[in-house]
Amino acid sequence: MNVPSDLRSSVMVVEDDYDIREAISEVLEDSGYRALCAANGRDAIELLHSGVLPGLVLLDLMMPVMDGRELFLSMLRDEKLREIPVVVLSAQPSRDQTIDGLAPKAWLKKPVHLDTLLSTVRRFCLSPSHHAVAVTPA
Amino acid sequence: MTSAMSTPLPVAEATFAVLREVKDYAIYLIDPKGIVLTWNEGAQLIKGYSAEEIIGQSFSRFFTREDRAAGRPQMLLDRAAQMGRVQDETWRLRKDGSAFWADVVITAIHNPDGSLKGYVKLTRDLTERRHLDELLRQSEERLRLLIENVKDYAIYMLDLHGRVTTWSSGAEKVLGYKADEVLGQHVSMFFPREPGFHQHAERELQIASDTGRFEEAAWRVRKGGDRFWAEVVVTAIHDPDTGRLRGFSKVTRDLTLPMEMEARARNATEQAEQERERAEVAQAALNARDEFISVAAHELRTPLTALVIKMQGTAQALRGNESDPATQRFAGRVDSALKQIDRLNELVERLLDVSRIVRGRLQLMLRETDFGELAQRVIDDFAETAKAADCTVTLTAEGPLLGLWDNTRLEQVVVNLLSNAIKYGSGKPIEVRLHTQDGDVVLTVEDHGIGVAHEDLERIFTRFERAVPVRHYGGLGLGLYISRSIVEAHGGSLRVESKPNQGSRFIAELPRRPRELRA
Repeated sequence: MNVPSDLRSSVMVVEDDYDIREAISEVLEDSGYRALCAANGRDAIELLHSGVLPGLVLLDLMMPVMDGRELFLSMLRDEKLREIPVVVLSAQPSRDQTIDGLAPKAWLKKPVHLDTLLSTVRRFCLSPSHHAVAVTPA
Repeated sequence: MTSAMSTPLPVAEATFAVLREVKDYAIYLIDPKGIVLTWNEGAQLIKGYSAEEIIGQSFSRFFTREDRAAGRPQMLLDRAAQMGRVQDETWRLRKDGSAFWADVVITAIHNPDGSLKGYVKLTRDLTERRHLDELLRQSEERLRLLIENVKDYAIYMLDLHGRVTTWSSGAEKVLGYKADEVLGQHVSMFFPREPGFHQHAERELQIASDTGRFEEAAWRVRKGGDRFWAEVVVTAIHDPDTGRLRGFSKVTRDLTLPMEMEARARNATEQAEQERERAEVAQAALNARDEFISVAAHELRTPLTALVIKMQGTAQALRGNESDPATQRFAGRVDSALKQIDRLNELVERLLDVSRIVRGRLQLMLRETDFGELAQRVIDDFAETAKAADCTVTLTAEGPLLGLWDNTRLEQVVVNLLSNAIKYGSGKPIEVRLHTQDGDVVLTVEDHGIGVAHEDLERIFTRFERAVPVRHYGGLGLGLYISRSIVEAHGGSLRVESKPNQGSRFIAELPRRPRELRA
């Protein structure tokens, strides 16, 4: 396992809008997750390349500098990042919910209901309780 | 005596001698009964008989059989006896039976006592001239027909004094007068009754007679006093032999009609151009509005997304602590705030729908959907609202109602129609019906409320339009516009039947799958 154990229950929030980014971080942390914030695709890829590997990437699509699509595709090209589940959180609807035919784990539409957001995160990310359980024996 | 007797004789003889040799005229004497007494060379040349052959014969043999049968020879003699002289121009016969056109003058001669002595008959062969006359007549006839068939030009003749001498159907059409109304009238009658109009007409003729031709574009007046803008050409007509001025030909064309048509065409073009500009301005305004709505909706959604998450996070954080009265109070406020956020979110979503529809970006997520279930779900969701408005909603669903539709979008349509029915038909029952027709599924939502005026039936489907004042009924005026767009995106149609104060019936016809997915 290359992913450091304390990051497996962390969620990388890639979102250019500060308020949304902050609100999502708040509710995630309220639920026991660690939120890692990036304001655009380039910030995110730099973090990822620096070895910060989250349990899930929550990805906005429309962003300046490097958009969500570009980040998603470059993650898929990187074998270290390929396995990290990606959930799209976008205002844009998508007919087939894919980016260039490549499907993220889930496609959430803004404005997302909190319950939907949390249940989706729970589905793909190691739960904080599991993490706690996993950590405690160690 | 001899000399006295002989003096007149040579003159008479000389005269006879001359007459005998005249070649261009047949000159001969006949007695009162028409018997030929003398003959000259001209007579022989013209009629073909020698003196021996004809002297002593009746002159009636020169007449055609018809004229003889009609008693014309004697009639002419009688008339000449009566009048002293008779002239006739007609066909006569030569010895060989051929006819010639003869100009005949018969003059009666009397004895000194006044009794009839006989007649001098003078005949000229006009056949050649008649032929020329005929050619001329035919030519004139052709010209007349030509002029007669020109309908758009008034072509007529004037005499030296400017009086109308000929008239044509074109003249009748352009100037409005019949021939008998204008023949002999002065040409100034076609001029506007302005000071000096008569002089103006005279000047026109003067210039034509001086220079041969006069042209102008000016106002003229037709029968009834109507003015028209005319193109006038006056040409002086001279006698070809003498060169003397005989009169004028006048050609008048009504330019009003072509001018009016040109003006009308120009106006139409200008109007179309103005119309196009107005439409462009209106379209630009519409585009600006739609653009603004799109930008505003997208801008609103970002803080709204943050607000929803924060408020829901807050609501969640308060959960599990319900026993605390203070927390309970806050939880109630947060729930109420979340309801307002939902409404706000709904409004923003509708604005975004408009933006998508306008840009042609309304995307459908098609899936197998049971319309009956969908309708029932919406009606159930509206139970509380319907009850509050004192409406009973009944659903009648017949037939297989499965289809390939975007269920979220269709739900939106049913929600819109049902909420309209409750809004405008409160206190009255509402019927929702589903049935199949020619393979399509037909949704009918009928209320018994205020209805829609006939003139508003189409307008209510336009965005930001409503048939009722805003202050009485809220909303953006987008519901029906979006609903129709959704139904049409599915390949269906949405229409309304309504009578004011009797209610409205909205009918959506939906193919079971979008058209492009068929086959």
